[in-house]
Amino acid sequence: MIMAAVSRGFAALWRTNGVRVPLHPLLSLCAARTQSSVSGDLLPQTSLSSPPWSEQTSFVSAEEERSRHAAVVSTVNDRIERQDFGRLFAVVHFAARQWKVTNEDLILVENHIEAECGDRIYLEKVLLVGAEDFTLVGRPLLGKELVRVKATVIEKTESCPKIHMVFWKRHRFQKKKTIVQPQTVLRINSIELYPRLS
Amino acid sequence: MVFLTLSCWIRNRGPDRFWKVQELLKHARHFRGRKNRCYKLAVLAVRRAFVYATKSRKLKKRNMRTLWITRIAAATREHNMKYPILMHNLNKCSVQLNRRVISDIAITEPRTFLSLAKLARARQQEGFRAALGDGKEPPGVLSRVMLQ
Repeated sequence: MIMAAVSRGFAALWRTNGVRVPLHPLLSLCAARTQSSVSGDLLPQTSLSSPPWSEQTSFVSAEEERSRHAAVVSTVNDRIERQDFGRLFAVVHFAARQWKVTNEDLILVENHIEAECGDRIYLEKVLLVGAEDFTLVGRPLLGKELVRVKATVIEKTESCPKIHMVFWKRHRFQKKKTIVQPQTVLRINSIELYPRLS
Repeated sequence: MVFLTLSCWIRNRGPDRFWKVQELLKHARHFRGRKNRCYKLAVLAVRRAFVYATKSRKLKKRNMRTLWITRIAAATREHNMKYPILMHNLNKCSVQLNRRVISDIAITEPRTFLSLAKLARARQQEGFRAALGDGKEPPGVLSRVMLQ
């Protein structure tokens, strides 16, 4: 799936000035249960037996949800068309790790990458992109035609020598090994959003 | 004994004991007490330090994960939700962000974290609605629910 905005009402896009619905008490959950034999509460009511917030949920009809969803999507689409956002951040999956990344960031990756120094790279597995007013959450990834993260390989070095030592007392067992890992430094040049939300 | 000249009489030990000792003492220079100067004490202290460093590299991963989980739990409780609800519902939405990144987002990008919390809450409500349904049985089934 390309992005969260499409699916069925649980919009991952949220406007900052969105209006909250006034909460209605939820009745139908309790009505379905039959009467239990225990008349009192099963647990004594202490200060920590229930969370300090109230467990009320608002009920919103399906049409209302769809209209709100469409409004949010159109707002975000406008913003992306006009390229109105400021600095973008992205969560990128790279080298078996997830990195939260913006422009001009340096990333130190603890392994060897098949690219020479100075090569420009696209980081393709983007999980989330955020700006000041909206976020795009991928499920699990965002499409390549939506976001593009450009990076450059700056440096390929080795790490400082780390010492791996094992010792068992009274057994005359001792091993010492020096581990040196290859490292790569990437600079994130830019994150770009293209207006192709549906 | 066949030492015919003085130069054959003198034993020639290894020439670089000084540097071998210094190689070990350099790892002990920041220790406290005589262990940073005296070789016999430094050997034991340096060995202990290396073994602790080796073991801690594994423990660090565990500790960092519990730290991230604590931070995410605290942030979700600010938004009237609990940590297991958030993670379970994000998994069900197939959002595969790991705990390190979610805790970073909770610290530096509060609005994005709010959006994730609301996403999880909406998914939870949808799960409840799917589980409870209409309060009616599927057609063709006779049970107490119909007789009520």
